[in-house]
Amino acid sequence: MGCIVLGCIILAVSLAGLSPYDPYKSDMSARYQPPSLAHPMGTDALGRDLMTRVLYGGRVSLAVGFSVMVITLLIGVPVGAMAGYFGGRVDNVLMRITDAALALPSLLVLILLGAILREVDAPALKQNPVLTIAFVIGILAWMFTARLVRASYLTIREMDFVVATRALGGSNFRIIALHIFPNAIGPVIVEATLEIAYAILEESGLSYLGFGIQPPTPSWGNLLSNAQEYLVKYPWLAIFPGLMIFLSVISINYIGDGLRDAFDPHKVLTKMGEV
Amino acid sequence: MYKKSMWFTILTILVLVGLLSSGCAKETVAPTIEESVTVPSETESAEIVPTEETAPTEETEKSQIVVVIAEDPPSFNATVNASGFDALVMELVMLGLADLDEEGNAYPELAEELPTVENGGVIIDEENGTMDVTWKLRQDIQWSDGVPVTAEDVVFTYDAVVDPEYGFWINGIDYVDGVEKIDDYTAVVHYNAIYPGYLTQFGGYLMAVWPAHYCDAEQGFTQWDCGFQPLSNGPYLLKEWVQNDHLTFERNPNYYEAGKPAIDEIVVKIIPDEAVRKQMLINGDADLDMWTPENVIVELKDYSDVVEVSLSPVDRWVMRIFFNLAAKGTTDPEATPHPIVSDVRVRRAIRMAIDSATISEEFFRGYADLVWTEFFRPPYNVCDIPQPVYDPEAAAALLEEAGWTDQDGDGVRECHGCTTGAEEGYPMEMEFITYSEYGEALDLTQEFIAEKLGEIGFKLSISRVEGTVLWDTSENGGIEQSGNFDIDIWDDGYSGNDPTDFLWGYYYSEAAIPDYGYNYGRYINPQVDELIDQSYTLDDELRKDIFCQMAKILDEDLPELLLFTTVDANAHSTRLQGVRSNANEIVTWNVADWTLK
Amino acid sequence: MGHYVVRRLLQAIPLMIIVSIVLFALVNLAPGGPLAGRGQSKRMRPEQIAILKRQFGLDQPLYKRYIFWLVGNDWTKIDTDGDGIKESYGQGKGILRGDFGMSYRTRKPVMDSIKNSFKNTAYLMSVTLVVVAIIAIPVGVISAVKQYSIFDIIVTSLSFIGQAIPEFWLGLILILVFYVWLKNPLTGDSLLPPGGMYTQGAAFSIIDWTKHLILPVTMGVVGWVTWYSRFLRSSMLDVIHQDYVRTARAKGLSLNKVYYKHALRNALLPLVTIFALDLPYIFSGSLYVEILFSWPGMGRLYYQAAIDRDYPMLMAILTIGTLAVVFANLLADIAYAKLDPRIHYD
Repeated sequence: MGCIVLGCIILAVSLAGLSPYDPYKSDMSARYQPPSLAHPMGTDALGRDLMTRVLYGGRVSLAVGFSVMVITLLIGVPVGAMAGYFGGRVDNVLMRITDAALALPSLLVLILLGAILREVDAPALKQNPVLTIAFVIGILAWMFTARLVRASYLTIREMDFVVATRALGGSNFRIIALHIFPNAIGPVIVEATLEIAYAILEESGLSYLGFGIQPPTPSWGNLLSNAQEYLVKYPWLAIFPGLMIFLSVISINYIGDGLRDAFDPHKVLTKMGEV
Repeated sequence: MYKKSMWFTILTILVLVGLLSSGCAKETVAPTIEESVTVPSETESAEIVPTEETAPTEETEKSQIVVVIAEDPPSFNATVNASGFDALVMELVMLGLADLDEEGNAYPELAEELPTVENGGVIIDEENGTMDVTWKLRQDIQWSDGVPVTAEDVVFTYDAVVDPEYGFWINGIDYVDGVEKIDDYTAVVHYNAIYPGYLTQFGGYLMAVWPAHYCDAEQGFTQWDCGFQPLSNGPYLLKEWVQNDHLTFERNPNYYEAGKPAIDEIVVKIIPDEAVRKQMLINGDADLDMWTPENVIVELKDYSDVVEVSLSPVDRWVMRIFFNLAAKGTTDPEATPHPIVSDVRVRRAIRMAIDSATISEEFFRGYADLVWTEFFRPPYNVCDIPQPVYDPEAAAALLEEAGWTDQDGDGVRECHGCTTGAEEGYPMEMEFITYSEYGEALDLTQEFIAEKLGEIGFKLSISRVEGTVLWDTSENGGIEQSGNFDIDIWDDGYSGNDPTDFLWGYYYSEAAIPDYGYNYGRYINPQVDELIDQSYTLDDELRKDIFCQMAKILDEDLPELLLFTTVDANAHSTRLQGVRSNANEIVTWNVADWTLK
Repeated sequence: MGHYVVRRLLQAIPLMIIVSIVLFALVNLAPGGPLAGRGQSKRMRPEQIAILKRQFGLDQPLYKRYIFWLVGNDWTKIDTDGDGIKESYGQGKGILRGDFGMSYRTRKPVMDSIKNSFKNTAYLMSVTLVVVAIIAIPVGVISAVKQYSIFDIIVTSLSFIGQAIPEFWLGLILILVFYVWLKNPLTGDSLLPPGGMYTQGAAFSIIDWTKHLILPVTMGVVGWVTWYSRFLRSSMLDVIHQDYVRTARAKGLSLNKVYYKHALRNALLPLVTIFALDLPYIFSGSLYVEILFSWPGMGRLYYQAAIDRDYPMLMAILTIGTLAVVFANLLADIAYAKLDPRIHYD
């Protein structure tokens, strides 16, 4: 079910190019129009068609969201897994690093990173604001995943089947990746899907500070942060980007739930016996 | 199972969306309903207020107003932080020698009268280029502990300010050799130069006179405790200060103006969010909002029977475009001129492509007045500088003429025969910066200008940075001081009627040295230097002449593009009378004259 | 276990030192600074810059500033009057002796502001966390036990929605509804106040303080409760489907006993981890709640200090915050080990 909704969103977003409106061209005579036939989602502060901007923005926001999720998983899972599995020295060092990263004040780090990135003249960065933003957000978000994964690994490694595998001579890597991972993944999936929504909203916070996706390029996040002032007066400015975020998050969550069930070996067995 | 919860969720969302959209359909109805609701509560608030008073020992009702501001004042010493919030509370309790009214004219507070050349208060020694200003203090003003305010306090304040350890720097202090007490109520300020800004030397909205017998000189001007528990000689006394929450003031019974102030109690509440402040005004829970922005002014128009907005008659803050005449990242316009904007024709073209009228109307809600010269305020608004025209076609033609054409058809012009020293084919790409704290009006303006300039062949990438990054020292990498920009847009202006210090800071060649002034554009023009030097005189007719010459030169050279002024407004409840917004000070400057209907 | 705790505490020391160095570098090197054009002026005169530099101690090189921050400068002479001669002893004692320095903004000890703000934030966050626990745990558990029932569907849907609502919006809407639109039918007053902790000038009353708590707590609770309850539901479901639960049920133990005594205990474990990570919020608070509801707390203090680049204030708040995180994590790990006998730390 979630796939259908998400699929629709992705389709709409990729078809954004079909819109007759230019998302960057202002039209001072048509500012702040409420939704109508000509503009199904209304117009924004510069008279630009909101629907066009929302759809284009979707490309950016979804990209940011997924990228952040990937980054947090890429960093958080290995860190947590190794800490939880090996314990001892490894655990200590990794967890202390995680503690340190947790203590880092996100506000300052964002300011710092944002400014550094502004100075660096690397064309790779300039042409890839999505990756840049995703990197910035991801750097501050992987710790939660790591802790979760570690907790799971701590519990699961004591389980019989792990002990058995070890006795049978399975290599550490095999155990971590193939045996424990599918069992540990439950809470991680829940968390990872929430990362996406978190990432999209964080991006709007970054835009508020001036670092996120820069205008006039639209993103759901920066469309939202501009619209917040006008919640009562021109609610469509906020409702539509917000709605898109809702729908994306919800469908992703449903997919996440589904994935969790798919990975749960117990569930498969019990399904046969009871509901 | 999943299906059920999925549909339920979608249903809930639809219901929510429906509610919200029907909410906006009711938009036109809501204000009238609210108006009829707020009117009764407005009269009620006058009755409710006294019941909130603790232990009313007085028989009569105490009148009270609530002022809402965005930040906690750092202290009562507005000189040190200049945040505006400190000035707001300082005006309530402390007086200066003179203050500025909303027209920009000085008027005496602690002084009997303003010292001028005519009344002998100012004695100029033309030969040595020095002057002495004699301040005669009123004899009827006391500190709230009964000790009279004397010249001793003036000398004490001066000594504290110039203390090398804990003092600070204020405008004009470099020209002061010393302050001498002649008698209890007479002090003489000895200047080593002719300084036109002498009237607000120990006054204005940033300075006050501090009590010699109460403040601890050991602690020092910048951190003494009397900046937190001030001794008052002004209309109000500080009753309590709950950090970050509120301050309570009650009227000073010994205030020197009889019968004033009329309002018994003032509560200053710290309400950081603007939307909440606005709602409090509408609800009648707040009587005065500080620094009301344009969009809120427009929204408050719907509630005009409970809220009024006081606009300053003279504007101060001018929105301008700054050009960096030196290449980005450098500060020498001769050695490394900017590849694009160092050609004055390019700057003129940019001016012709900016539709200030539309910007003012649409984004600043008509509250911005177009200006195009620094000298738009009385008494120097006498120069005849032609208003710039909005003509994008002429702008494009001028760019062609200046050697910038688009030969590869990508919509962005390149240098083909340009005279700035840029290489052949150098594209017209620049970074366009502004500061993020202003708000939506400036953000939209920036986007709009970038779009319009894009139409005539520029490619501007937009950046918004924090103010502290923009205006930091050059050794710390501050963008303006280190010249690390192409063009920016932001607002600035001076307080009072005397532009001399301001002009020096922006246009004098020495001020282009990093961290020495604010000539961020690195504009070097010896003629202008000469004129600025000459303007340090008290002869007003001469100054007018000098300034008009300067206006002409600046209009030809266009080191900055002046666009329009932004409003200085304070919204207040209709029951509060006497509020006069003043661009040169903070709105509480005349608090003693306020009354309640 | 005792060894483990001691070891962790000892490890915390080098960790704190390293973190403090990193934080100090971050804070001081972030672009912008306390010497930037400030307040209304947007520009600073070089004379003012020079004075402030001296008064803030920013004329020293970075490593020296760190040392002074750590151990004070009352054992060395510094130049306080700008003549280039170091003649008087400094006044700072350094953080190791409990002196967190003077705020650049107020010129008063940083600790004064922190103490004031901390109690307000702790007050608000404690209430919020308690409410979150009271709601989330039963909701999560029942949701799992009665999976796919109407209750579960409603709760899950609300959770999804609640998680996706931007906190700031929720607050604005709450203010709009309860302060602007709805009025007390008897007095014509607003139903709930728009902010602050209490009504100025009025006598102390529990009702007044509670009224001021309702909206900010609601705003904070919504985000967390949805998160926690869903998490607990997921965790509880994992446990319920384990074999030993089935065994217990087969053995005939009452459902209540099985679920609430055995399963819940295990399901709570991951929650402990998450909860511990959130404990430092009692110190740092939620910025948005404090801004919207004018709550004079740590969040606002930190935010203002970040804007002002008030280095001593920032370092103090960050250091205490780090300590809070370190202790909270230690607490979580200990609790985890106590609750799950299978886990051992070697």
